[in-house]
Amino acid sequence: MANEAARAASLYPGLRLSDARATLPHLLTEEIDRKSDERALIALATRLVRFSPLIALDEADALILETTGCDHLFDGEALMARELSHSLDKAGYGHRLAFAGTRGAAYALAHKKAGVQSPAILPSGDERDGLFDLPVSALRLSGKTLTLLRRFGLTRIGQLYEIDRKALARRFHSHEVAEAVCLRLDQALGKRPEPFEPFRPLPDHSVGLSCPEPLTDVTGINAGLAMLADRLSKALATEGLGAQTFVFRAVLSDGRVNSIGVNTARPVYACNHVLRLFHEKTDRIDPGFGIDTLQLEALRTAPMALGSRPLSGDLVQTDVDESALAILADRINARLGEGSVTVTVPISHHPVDMAEETRPFTGEIPNCTSHRVTMHGLRPIRMFDHPEQVQVISEMPDGPPLRFVWRRVVRRVTRADGPERIAPEWWTYLPPAPGEQRNLPRARDYYRVEDAEGRRYWLFREGLYGDGRGRTPDWFLQGLFA
Amino acid sequence: MDLALLKSKGLIRQLNAPATSDVTFPYGLGAHGLHEVLERAYGDRAAVTGFVLTATKATRPQALFWISQSSTRRDMGSLSESALQEMTRGKIRCLSLATRPARDALWAAEEAVISGAVSHVIAEVDVADFTATRRLALASERHGVPVTLILPYRCEGATAAATRWRISTRPSTPNPYDPRAPGRPRWSASLERCRIAPSVSGRTFEVEWNDETLSLCVVSGMVVGPLTPRTSSAGNFQQLKAG
Repeated sequence: MANEAARAASLYPGLRLSDARATLPHLLTEEIDRKSDERALIALATRLVRFSPLIALDEADALILETTGCDHLFDGEALMARELSHSLDKAGYGHRLAFAGTRGAAYALAHKKAGVQSPAILPSGDERDGLFDLPVSALRLSGKTLTLLRRFGLTRIGQLYEIDRKALARRFHSHEVAEAVCLRLDQALGKRPEPFEPFRPLPDHSVGLSCPEPLTDVTGINAGLAMLADRLSKALATEGLGAQTFVFRAVLSDGRVNSIGVNTARPVYACNHVLRLFHEKTDRIDPGFGIDTLQLEALRTAPMALGSRPLSGDLVQTDVDESALAILADRINARLGEGSVTVTVPISHHPVDMAEETRPFTGEIPNCTSHRVTMHGLRPIRMFDHPEQVQVISEMPDGPPLRFVWRRVVRRVTRADGPERIAPEWWTYLPPAPGEQRNLPRARDYYRVEDAEGRRYWLFREGLYGDGRGRTPDWFLQGLFA
Repeated sequence: MDLALLKSKGLIRQLNAPATSDVTFPYGLGAHGLHEVLERAYGDRAAVTGFVLTATKATRPQALFWISQSSTRRDMGSLSESALQEMTRGKIRCLSLATRPARDALWAAEEAVISGAVSHVIAEVDVADFTATRRLALASERHGVPVTLILPYRCEGATAAATRWRISTRPSTPNPYDPRAPGRPRWSASLERCRIAPSVSGRTFEVEWNDETLSLCVVSGMVVGPLTPRTSSAGNFQQLKAG
């Protein structure tokens, strides 16, 4: 990249750094930082959302705004361009603007026709004439294709209009190149569609509020949020929908955008609930010099399953109200972080540490009747996530230890029960290839032991004696019995 | 007929009001109000957990909210779902939450009480001062959701809890089927403070958990037998006498 001052000193992108330094000894250079560039571009796109909700990033240095149906809000494209230009100037960005009926045409105009202060505006339908004089390099083609086109003397877009397409492929000796030229030309002229990917998901429902006076304090923000939430919940309720993600944006008067989001375990539309979730976070919004516009968006909408509540608690079989639990979980997740509230569900696995899984609560507590099938025998009330190794002082072959050290205290075993042998799942691993040094998972012998003080432990020996899967087995503590 | 008259005749009763016949074991633990359960020494946490879960019996499916600090989970392990289901005959649906500071855990406990969505809140925290416990006690009374605080052995000082229990592990009962194996778990639960029945504070209960009948029996000190099993049928006597 070279800025305008550098270009004026006849430096150009692609020049070697040493050559450039030779031309200009006091040249300032900086490493390119694509990540930060992209972040800055996304921030800029967020600021421009007030011109159009549909914005896409184009390569590293351009934005595409889908302005269909938006320009009349600014009294036409010319005035909208002026407003945009003013807004970008205020943000400190140099820019070239172009308006056209297709994305390809807008690209060509912005790169080859528009000036710094003179936006190029091409009415929809005039692409053929408007692009006639532009060079073919405005068509988003690769360098190799451009070289080929130049060799054939095709330098203007207008020259491509009348060429026989089949002849083009024959002349280029490359079907791909000819196809690329035709595709880009058709896209610029609006004969083929082009996908548009907005930089953030489009909300399913959205409400906005323009403030007559810029808001500067939390009270005003909360009042505005309450109005928006009420309108949004009514809009959702009329369609029988609920949403799982809500995003609240505050557009500042200097163009910056602050946004906060909340997620819920189940689809909701209740205004009060959404407001309570946001109240934890509204103080994080920095009003700056004042907030112009507030927006509330609903994403991930789904139909609500609504039923009537039982008249009396005696009519239901259970005291568990999952929708009330979901509301509680949302409140706690909003303050302590997503996924804080969890449920534990059984899974069909032999190893004890894989037999249960802790998942974020998503509005349903699975019924644990299958536990009886997967878990045999007595299980300790407290289990360690990672078994703790113990030192065994006196050991008996094929039996529980007589004394062991756990957390630096010697425990003398008075009574023991076992073993309960839990084998690894042989179907989940492959035997080692000949010559490969790898230890296979080992079977575990679990013992319930009680020490002289009456504490009860769940010990296991990792492996059997002489199973040929590694050295002498070690002892571990898996859990504590009540 | 006015409301006071109806109340005096016992025709209507406030739903959240504590039942009057609550001056027996376990003195309202897990039924209403705020209670504290402490471990006697380091390592009695499993006994405390077992005692809290078994002292109250759920007759219908209930939602339990289990809050603990991450440090406690690392140190003493986390609650095992299969054992929980086994101890409560599958009546409990458990939601759990791990927080970093104790402040967050107490906040979440209060939030759960206020929401009224859960039937019992158990919070395992390192510290709980008088202000925090008073808030919890008031919320618990107002909303009728019992709260149980599990505290480490080093906790001292005044709190607003209705009772304070201190639990330690005792050697288990003789196993009638295998004399070398541990039998039913037995704990000694001493009631250090009790607001509703001050006369019983200081009493120690020897309790025994029967995993077959799923019942918690209070064993009187007289019949706590020797740790070695008897060969005669007298060995069964102490279990029949229990409760």
